[in-house]
Amino acid sequence: MKKEYLGEFEELVLTMVGILQEDAYGNAIVNEIKERVGRNCNLSAVHVTLYRLEDKGYVKSSMGGATNTRGGRRKRIFTITNAGLAMLRAMKEARVDLWKLIPQLKIGSV
Amino acid sequence: MEPELTKVNPPQLALRLLRKVCPPELYESIEGDLIEQFELDLHEVGLKKAKHRFVGSALRFLRPGIVLRNRFTITFINTIMVSNYFKVAARNIQKRKFYSFINAFGLSIGLAFCMLIALYIQDEKEFDQFHANKNQIFRIEEKSFDTWQHDQPDPYRKSAWIQAALAPTLKEELPEVEYATRFNDGNRAIFRYGDKVFTERLTYVDKDFFTMFSFRLLHGSAERIFIDQAEVVLTPAIATKYFGDEDPIGKTIEIDNNGKKSYTVTGIIEPPPSQSSLTYAILLPQENRNYYERNMANWGNFGTPTFVQLRQNADLTVFKSNLDKIIDKYIGKKLEEWRKEAAVPIPADAKMLEYEFTVLPDVHLKKEISWEKVSDPQYSIILGGIALLIMLIACINYISLSLTTSASRRVEVGVRKVVGAQRNQLIYQFSFESLILAVISLVIGLGLVMLFLPSFNEFTNKGIELTLSSVLKLLSVGLSLTLITGLLAGSYPSWYLSRFRPASVLKGGFTSRLQAGFTKPLVVLQFALSAFLIISSVMMYRQMHFITSKDLGYNKEQVLVIPTQAGWTEESNRVVEQFRTHAQQEPTIVSVSGTSSSFNQGYSRYGFKIKGEQKSAYVYAADPNYLTTLGIQLLEGRNFDVNIPADSDAVIVNEALVRDMKWTDPLNEYYNWREDTVGMGSQVIGVVKDYHFLSLEQNFEPMFLSMNKSSVGYLTTMLVKVASTDVTAGLERVKEIWKELYPDKPFDYTFLDQDVANQYKSYQRWMSIMGLSTGFAILISCLGLFGLAGINAVNRTKEIGIRKVMGADLQTIFILLNKQFIVLALVAFSMAAPLSWWFISKWYMKEFTFKVPLTWDLFALSMGAGLLLALATVSYHAIKVALVNPAETLKYE
Repeated sequence: MKKEYLGEFEELVLTMVGILQEDAYGNAIVNEIKERVGRNCNLSAVHVTLYRLEDKGYVKSSMGGATNTRGGRRKRIFTITNAGLAMLRAMKEARVDLWKLIPQLKIGSV
Repeated sequence: MEPELTKVNPPQLALRLLRKVCPPELYESIEGDLIEQFELDLHEVGLKKAKHRFVGSALRFLRPGIVLRNRFTITFINTIMVSNYFKVAARNIQKRKFYSFINAFGLSIGLAFCMLIALYIQDEKEFDQFHANKNQIFRIEEKSFDTWQHDQPDPYRKSAWIQAALAPTLKEELPEVEYATRFNDGNRAIFRYGDKVFTERLTYVDKDFFTMFSFRLLHGSAERIFIDQAEVVLTPAIATKYFGDEDPIGKTIEIDNNGKKSYTVTGIIEPPPSQSSLTYAILLPQENRNYYERNMANWGNFGTPTFVQLRQNADLTVFKSNLDKIIDKYIGKKLEEWRKEAAVPIPADAKMLEYEFTVLPDVHLKKEISWEKVSDPQYSIILGGIALLIMLIACINYISLSLTTSASRRVEVGVRKVVGAQRNQLIYQFSFESLILAVISLVIGLGLVMLFLPSFNEFTNKGIELTLSSVLKLLSVGLSLTLITGLLAGSYPSWYLSRFRPASVLKGGFTSRLQAGFTKPLVVLQFALSAFLIISSVMMYRQMHFITSKDLGYNKEQVLVIPTQAGWTEESNRVVEQFRTHAQQEPTIVSVSGTSSSFNQGYSRYGFKIKGEQKSAYVYAADPNYLTTLGIQLLEGRNFDVNIPADSDAVIVNEALVRDMKWTDPLNEYYNWREDTVGMGSQVIGVVKDYHFLSLEQNFEPMFLSMNKSSVGYLTTMLVKVASTDVTAGLERVKEIWKELYPDKPFDYTFLDQDVANQYKSYQRWMSIMGLSTGFAILISCLGLFGLAGINAVNRTKEIGIRKVMGADLQTIFILLNKQFIVLALVAFSMAAPLSWWFISKWYMKEFTFKVPLTWDLFALSMGAGLLLALATVSYHAIKVALVNPAETLKYE
């Protein structure tokens, strides 16, 4: 049984696709990450990750309509698939389970 | 919405680059994202910074995650089409058998040449690499001030022949030296075992030889060999020659080398491989050399090559300074004496003697120090250059033929494009075709290599064998060459062919011919290369012919050269005398004479001071029959006469010596070459016309003949002139007399003219190589020209038909079709002539003092021959087309 894993950045991008819904395209994700997580990431890195996620079947993509901005170029809109959603959920649960196992320390103790 | 901002365009260069490498299906959204960010940045950080960021993030897309997606799709399309490409290529090759043959033939010869050269260079590199201790073994060399060339820019003489006592001294006194052996090769002696008597070549070494070098002992062990001085180690071939199937170990063999002595065979050693600088057949302990004791005692006698093996961590600078100490200790005094006595003043800062050393693997290519198998790295370069030329000519054939046949591929290209082929795909297709052809040529080329290897070995004086590993290496060299040439030769045609516009091609524009303008310079280049080779090899041939047919000043025909086998003793003179008496009655033997050394079998050159001036002269011991046997012309004076006692110290000199001494009346002069303080020296009784006792590379040098046995030497070589009517009968008779007189001595002989010709062996070899490659180059380029002319004629069939109808005769058409080739050939020749003149005079002719002049008729002749050949090649098609009835060609219009 082979199980797919997601890298940290992949998980982040996948989550953003889930959040942004029909407005999830390369640049929007970069800006969303910057806004919500405060992390500067590179556009090309996001693109590459999106294509990789698409290969793995966690997102699918289609071209959006033409707009007047961005020089008339169309956006490639990514949407999260059921498999992607299940993956995110599974990862979250696994993490919560593990988190529970950590002895809860009081803040302030050394 | 914001028209004022869209006017600001992002930097286009980065985008254009990105478009090239990015998969098209992803490109639009990426570009959009980049532009969007640019527009945002424009508001936030201003134009300059926005541009900066834009370029930065655009360039970051040039990463494997993006680019590799691209390649995947291309290989995908390619694999689908490959079978189709293959099919089309195979059909094309079949359809145009003749052109395919021309291409494959040229390429395979070019490839074969390149592979042979690769083998040659490989072989040169692998020389002496098989010794396990190769990096610890050094050859010791002397560098000493040479008073004979004191006025040269480099007045030092370098040689590998050093003192006999050095090897044992080094081993004993220097801590760095682990082993040492001397290596004297080339002395010949008579071997006897039972009724088998032959002369054999001996090699004198020391015990350490077997430990230092990795020559395998088949019998016997390195520790126990050469403990006794009367031991001998043989190669298997020699062992079977004397002992047949018997076990050679422990057998005794008699060697006659200035006195008979018995030796016991204690070892059998494998023969030296062809890639070994050291060669031998029979190994003897060094102590058995003639005059060994005398050589050991005399540190002024340089005659023994020496090898040492240094310890693993020896410091070479320490070793060098230790060598200097050895010089000081053993011959320091002597050197100072020599410095004082020297005929010319030696500069105070010049060292009289210095030892240098060369690590064993470098010995082979160290051309400034003479050694039996030493080689010049220049040879590899020249051979490589020739191979490259041939390869280039073959490639040009391919390019020009595919360009000229391109017309027939136009429709194919058009249809492919209409159906949706990208230009890239067409380029792949045509490159693929040329690769297929190149691979076919590779297979043929490999066959040619195997076929030609024996003759190549003969030409280059090598012993290259094809082993599994060398075949594998050859394959890898061949494959990479094939890939390179296939792609190189295929690149221009495929670029050219893929350029056609489908609309204009398919519209039916068949009447217009497609002109590939690039073919003409290619043909010129090809022709120039061939012309260069033609002129060079004709020049070489002329020089060779000049040398072999030049009057040398003596008669070298029908003269047998026979060693007296009696060594450097009075006995040798008696052998000559005895033989002469016996041969007197023979009608087949004209005359018998003796000399100290025959031509090209060594010489003696003496240096001495006459009236305070440094002089030198070549010296040959002779007898009264010498001049007549060799037909040397006496200009003044008389020949030697045994009845005049004073003649035993008289000399006959050559014209060069008279010039050197500035004598006006030589017959009244005395030549004081022994630096007699009492007497006046030797009386000059005759002057001979200059003759070439040296090779033609050298000028006439001062020389004299003498009968003085004690100072000049004994007649160790007999010269027998036989009647020209029946040389074989004469030879048989000489052999019979020899067997009768000396049944226990082997009869070895050579012909004088062959000895003399052997001086030019290496030139002869180079001429053959050059001739062969010229032949191939001409063949390939003529085939190419033939193909080209054929296509040209076919292209113009209709034109010629019309011309004939209008009244043109055969001659006009002939000229029309051939004119352009003649012009091309002329241009090519005018390019090649100065180049080959430079090459010949700079590289080849400078070796000779006596040379055939470079005259205009050489160039004219080569050019005429080349033009005729080209004309003959192209005429076939011209005549064929010109003879066709115009009705045939025009009826379909």
